[in-house]
Amino acid sequence: MNPRLHIDFVKRLGNVTLQMRFAVNTEILVLFGPSGAGKTQTLHAIAGLSTPDSGSITLDDTTFFQCVPGKPVVNLPARQRRIGYVFQQYALFPHMNALENVVFPLAGRRDARDRAMELLERMHLAHLAQRMPHELSGGQQQRVAIARALATEPRVLLFDESFSALDRPIRERLHDEIRALQAERRLIVVYVTHNLDDALAVGHRLAVMRDGRIEQIGRIDDVFTYPANQRVLNILGLPNAISARVVETGPSGALLDWDGITLEAPPSGAAPGAQVMAYIRPEDIRLIYPDRPLSRVVGNNHMDGVVVERRLGRHVHHLHVALPDGRQIEVVYPASSYATMTLTPGERVRLALRKESIVVIAAHSGLPQTVEEPHRQGANGADDGPARDPALAPLPPP
Amino acid sequence: MNWPAFWLSLQVTAVASVIIFVVGLALALLLARFRFPLKILVETGIMLPLVLPPSVIGYYLLLAFGRGSPLFEWFNIRILFTWQAAVAASVVVGLPLMVQSSRAALANVDPLLENAARTLGAGEVRIFWRITLPLARRGIMAGIILGSARALGEFGATLMITGNIPGRTQTLPVAIYDAVQAQRYADAHLMVLVMTVLAFAGLILARQLEPPLPGRRIEQSAEASV
Repeated sequence: MNPRLHIDFVKRLGNVTLQMRFAVNTEILVLFGPSGAGKTQTLHAIAGLSTPDSGSITLDDTTFFQCVPGKPVVNLPARQRRIGYVFQQYALFPHMNALENVVFPLAGRRDARDRAMELLERMHLAHLAQRMPHELSGGQQQRVAIARALATEPRVLLFDESFSALDRPIRERLHDEIRALQAERRLIVVYVTHNLDDALAVGHRLAVMRDGRIEQIGRIDDVFTYPANQRVLNILGLPNAISARVVETGPSGALLDWDGITLEAPPSGAAPGAQVMAYIRPEDIRLIYPDRPLSRVVGNNHMDGVVVERRLGRHVHHLHVALPDGRQIEVVYPASSYATMTLTPGERVRLALRKESIVVIAAHSGLPQTVEEPHRQGANGADDGPARDPALAPLPPP
Repeated sequence: MNWPAFWLSLQVTAVASVIIFVVGLALALLLARFRFPLKILVETGIMLPLVLPPSVIGYYLLLAFGRGSPLFEWFNIRILFTWQAAVAASVVVGLPLMVQSSRAALANVDPLLENAARTLGAGEVRIFWRITLPLARRGIMAGIILGSARALGEFGATLMITGNIPGRTQTLPVAIYDAVQAQRYADAHLMVLVMTVLAFAGLILARQLEPPLPGRRIEQSAEASV
């Protein structure tokens, strides 16, 4: 099926220039990135709340915006675009009760109240229809806001950090709701967030943004498995980014030299001698039981280390392991695994960095770790490396 | 008690209030929502009557409505020494209070709500009547009450441009001045009392409306939900 919402525009904003070019189908696309990346401005441009400098925005056969040389200028006002927009701050009209809020976009229709009531019922709010916004909880207010946004029967629904102020259980329930609504109404959904958990919970595809442009867009699995570049790695906050030199390549794999440690990696296009960026997927690293025979899955890249820190989570635990020369590796394992092992700080462990856990993401020929754009301090991973723990930035001093 | 003056004052204040409301709201909207060159001069000009001596205001009004002025010659507006002149004086002094208060109230309405209304298909006129105006209503009402109270109390400029004709252009404040001059103190007492009560009531009402009081609203809603 062909994408339906096409976005391709440029807009100058103070010190960044927003250059957005992407297409959305009947799906949930998450725009993810740090604040200041231009996520909200992108939604504003789609909804018609701000006007790009040039480019075009079209939905199916409707042109929302067009400012291209040789073609007539089009700028459909927001009120004619029929795009549902759910704001972070709820934006309910404080002088109207829940029902009146939902009736507002239906004004002039004879069945306005019935339809508004149906929408409130759909959002499980029928019993609160007469409440004023300030008498509702944050989650309830946002449900009213969603019902109100659906009242215009939009083809596109935009969420602008809509749930970031809400507690996690409420957020999770609303995410389920959004996925259900999207499927049931065949909606095109663009969901903006700076919270990765939210992005993973709700999205079908992920667009990673930074400094006004999309660094990578794709299925969530693909983005995580094959981050396009170091910046994506940083934005996603993925740990264990490394810089290594290719020693040998072959059809079955490549040998990397990670500053003295030899790693077996899957085959990659990089030529021997090239300096490459790679990252070791923390959930693919295995711990080796000292008293059991090695199983085949942990074949390659064994190394010894000492546990520095263990963080327990609901589903997975995080382990920071220091190698003898001081560099650290983060390991993520299911909470149910390694129950018989002692993994407190100070404990010695043996790691297997399985071949599959090493993802080569970018190659730079010859030179050690060139910095593409000098103004981007973080581009080589040393300054704003994995956001979870700056100490993990794995680049040793040259 | 000078009843003709009392009724005339009410009449002048009523007419002036309507004009203050309409003109003041338009000016407040202009100042709150639009940027234009020399805006600061327009703003200051509207506020000037708050600080100018009444005699200066009276003088300007004599120039504006007198023989030789555009209003007099081109539009044939001849209101000097009629009760309409008192209305003009009241409007000029009441307007700044209305503009100040309603401008702040309009500027306080969250643009986010107006944007939300736009995405919901509402046009600008509908947004103004259904969203902006209702949300700014407290400040606007406080403004019109303050403006009206000030209009009712207008004295100096009125004295200069209405000619103080008893029964025709003499308003209550001017009548009080007259009564004191003529040493009719019993008359003056009563009129002063009436003026004070009206002004007092107006200010209390305006105070009740003025700020959007979040604390009070919650109390009210708590009562409502009991």
